[in-house]
Amino acid sequence: MIEVHELRKRYGDRLAVDGLSFTVRPGQVTGFLGPNGAGKSTTLRMIVGLDHPTGGTATVNGRRYRDHPDPLRQAGALLEARSVHRGRTARSHLLALAQTHGIGRRRVDEVLALVGLDTAAGRRAGGFSLGMGQRLGIAAALLGDPAVVILDEPVNGLDPDGVLWVRTLLQDLAAEGRTVLVSSHLMSEMALTAEHLVIIGRGRLLADTTVAELIDRVAVGTVLVRSPRAGELRDALCAAGAAVTTTEAGVLQVARADATVIGELAARQGIPLYELTPRRASLEEAYMDLTKEAVEYR
Amino acid sequence: MRITFPRVLRSEWTKLVSLRSTWWTLAPLAVLVVALAGVIGNGIHRSGGELTHASAVSAAFLPVDFAVLVLGVFGVLQMTGEYGTGSIRSTLTAVPRRWPVVAAKALVQASLTLPVSVLTCAAAYVACQAFLGEPFALRPVLGAAGSLVLMGLLGLAVGALLRHTAAAVTTLVAGLFVVPALLGPALPGNREEDVLRWVPAVAGQAMYSVDGTGAPFKMFSPLTSTLVLTAWAVLLLAGGALVLHRRDA
Repeated sequence: MIEVHELRKRYGDRLAVDGLSFTVRPGQVTGFLGPNGAGKSTTLRMIVGLDHPTGGTATVNGRRYRDHPDPLRQAGALLEARSVHRGRTARSHLLALAQTHGIGRRRVDEVLALVGLDTAAGRRAGGFSLGMGQRLGIAAALLGDPAVVILDEPVNGLDPDGVLWVRTLLQDLAAEGRTVLVSSHLMSEMALTAEHLVIIGRGRLLADTTVAELIDRVAVGTVLVRSPRAGELRDALCAAGAAVTTTEAGVLQVARADATVIGELAARQGIPLYELTPRRASLEEAYMDLTKEAVEYR
Repeated sequence: MRITFPRVLRSEWTKLVSLRSTWWTLAPLAVLVVALAGVIGNGIHRSGGELTHASAVSAAFLPVDFAVLVLGVFGVLQMTGEYGTGSIRSTLTAVPRRWPVVAAKALVQASLTLPVSVLTCAAAYVACQAFLGEPFALRPVLGAAGSLVLMGLLGLAVGALLRHTAAAVTTLVAGLFVVPALLGPALPGNREEDVLRWVPAVAGQAMYSVDGTGAPFKMFSPLTSTLVLTAWAVLLLAGGALVLHRRDA
């Protein structure tokens, strides 16, 4: 469980995080979304104590991260892919982290195998590809078998196999009852992985919601109508107050009137319809709509 | 499974010895210091003339004057290397209270550089005195080794304070070599001694001199100088730990 309360962070005269409050619950994957520069990474860094908040609190399992006697057991974090000394082997890097908590070598080999780096364990991290660096970062995050897993843009630099692997891993971790918080600036990725969403823009909370709720919140859906007498239907719809646009002959995009209204109107006028398809806004559009302002004024 | 200081020590030890650069710095340095000491002994011997006991002893440690710089930079890199590569983020998420990291780095670095320095300085002394004929003396050997270790810790502290390799190395060189060189002429003659013997580079040299002689002015005794340099290292390390604790990583 992660609890963020009225969290603020000021850099010079810029408020990177501005009174942010949200809770991340165990047992599900929570997506942490926002445009670039929204304050996602800063927030995550404050949760694990790398940055000091200007105000407010961030707690992990009820306490500030740094106040736990066993922080790696409480939360594991992948913050930036490059958090490794280039001259150290993957195994030495993990071993050094493990030793701070008295975690044994066996666990080091376990997480190396888990992320698929067992054959590269003896290679120096400086020669790793971005994807391998990312896997090593995930291995470090899982080292302490933590109750909370925090990953900042984990699929960056991964190939399609890797992306799929991360997606499955996150869902498995959540299914084991852990708290999983994953940041991304890509809604499309989160739509496939997360159940719950925390969306921020310009350091403020824009939405704390489920994926389904977010789609429902989207302002306007449109209806696609196909008819051999599209011109007539358009006039009738406009007269009834709908907004109609045409992209190709015989096809109408109708807004401000739902499928029921359009269908009944067409029936009254005796206009045949070949297609009547309500189009829900995609999650991507819902997200763009929500963060539009946050992006514009950045 | 929890953080304890001995565990942080073990972790820092693993980090120190798992970098090739550690061995690629210390091993050639040791060889170079011993070889130079031999060359210097041979050179002085061939040019003839009578040497005082003090200058014959200190001849063996002339290479140490430059080795302290290498050890200082080595110390700087223990800290700035973590910032440069980003591994500091891993380090501080594993030990979020942070100060144990500085303390452990200092202890681990000292426990590796101390035996290396003692052996190197002893070998350098023997190599040099093979030509100059002074009997083996443990005290100046330990003094020279001690100054190397302490200068390394000074470097570690400067690295923790400044974080960037270039800035820290520049500051270290300025602090160790440029400031004392400028301070001498800048101070009126009677104040020179009072100020300069407190300077780290001077205190370091005094540690392996025979009773504080060898400079154009009276330095502190080797023992007092050891305390002076230790105080510098402890003070700056405390400052480094404080800065690490307060700043964002």
